This record gives sequence, C-alpha cells and structure tokens, in this order.
Amino acid sequence: MFDALVIVTLVASGALAVFGLVETARGRPPGKPLAYAVYVAVGLLVVQAAIAAVRVFGGVQVPEPTTFLIYLLVSVCVLPIALQWANADPNRWGGAIVAAGAVGVAVAVLRLQGMWAVTGA
Amino acid sequence: MPEPEEGRGAAEHAPPRATATGPGRVLIAVYGIFALSATARAGVQIAGRFSEAPVAYLLSALAGLVYILATFALAGQGPGARRLAWAAVGFEMVGVLVVGTITAFVPGEFGPDDTVWSVYGRGYGFIPLILPMIGLWWLRRTRGR
Repeated sequence: MFDALVIVTLVASGALAVFGLVETARGRPPGKPLAYAVYVAVGLLVVQAAIAAVRVFGGVQVPEPTTFLIYLLVSVCVLPIALQWANADPNRWGGAIVAAGAVGVAVAVLRLQGMWAVTGA
Repeated sequence: MPEPEEGRGAAEHAPPRATATGPGRVLIAVYGIFALSATARAGVQIAGRFSEAPVAYLLSALAGLVYILATFALAGQGPGARRLAWAAVGFEMVGVLVVGTITAFVPGEFGPDDTVWSVYGRGYGFIPLILPMIGLWWLRRTRGR
C-alpha cells in the first residue's frame, strides 16, 4: 500500500457512496453510470490489493498478515457482490445497496491502512 | 398459499410481503457485510490465538453465525425463512444488549479483544445496535395480517 493510493481509494469509495445514495434519493434504478463507477472503484482497489499483497509476501511485516490479506480480499470482493445484488432486483434501492458496500470498503481500507502504518514501510 | 383474488376488500388479510424487497434489500446487504466481517474476524482470532481470549472469540464466532443466519433468512422466502429471521434478529438484539451492557460496566470481562457487540458495537459505529432494531421493525412491517 502507499498513501496516495489509500487516499484515492477512500475518495473513490466515498464518491461512490454519495452517487449511490443520490440515485436512491432520485428514485432511479441502478444504471450504466453506477455500474461504471463501481468498475472504476474496484479497479483501483485491485491495484491497491495487488501492490499490498506483493509487498507483504515480499517481507513487509504487518502485525497480523492473515487478517491483513483477508481484508484485502474483502476490499476487492464487496462491491462486485453489492452491484450484483442491486441489479438482481433493479429498483431505486439499488443505489443504496452499492452505497452500503462502498462504506464497508472504505472501513476496510481504513483498517488496512491502520495495520500498514505500524510497519513504517 | 395464494388467497383467492376476489375483491380488494381483503385488506385485513394481506399476505406477508417478502423481506427481500425494496429497502429490505439494503438491510440484507448490510447484514451480509457484517456476516462477512464478523465471521472472518472470528475465524482469524480462533485459528490464530484462541487461548488469549476464548470467551471473546467464541462470542465473535457466535455473532458471525447469527449474522449469516439473519442474512440468508431475510433474503429467503416463506414462513420458515421468516421464523428463522425473527429468531436470528431477535437473538442478535438480545446479544448486543447483554454483551454491550456487561462490557460497558465491567471492562475486560470478555478478554482483551473486543467482540462485535462490545459496548453496544462501539467499534463498529454502533451499527450492531441499530441493525437488529431496523431488522425487527422490517420483519414487523412486512408481516401479513
């Protein structure tokens, strides 16, 4: 992980949460723009997870490597599942589902950052 | 069992609405996230350092299991799923209140590591306290008459 990417992923998931909630507030079913926004966020999260995983396997000592790697996996998987669940019954609540996933991802990234910070790497 | 569709005057016998509809799907998504994170956390705790705080880690695992049951029960259909959802969400409500109260007044009771329900879910933005309230409300709201 490195700080710039942490900030980028946090901003992306925050923006995605707002986007989803706005769609719900406007009563719109999840459409293409929301899907693309999810893909962008997931793409950034994949890059972050790949870099972090490579560095952990390369010898960076995070306090709890298993937990760290599970959180990395969770940060990548939650949004695609949330989008799937939102699209399975496309109505106004789809946006809020994606927003819930985005908040969960942001929390996961913050926890990851907390674990990474102690390594000083 | 579909009621015969004659007349709209059957309002006093409205069939239950599926819990996995409308805003209920957002609730299920949040339950799913908690099921995932609580179970993963408990799994790591139990596999890695069970002896440090066995009670806390078993409680974490129990909470994870309850979240999994609630997620699938709320996403399911029919009276069986609804009963299971009442049981799981009700247990969750009692669990967070009991564990929350004990941990709030007797710090360290369950060992050094917090569970999801410690101090009413403080470590998780108190969502573990609010979630079963919304769950119970939603089950009541969607039940038939």
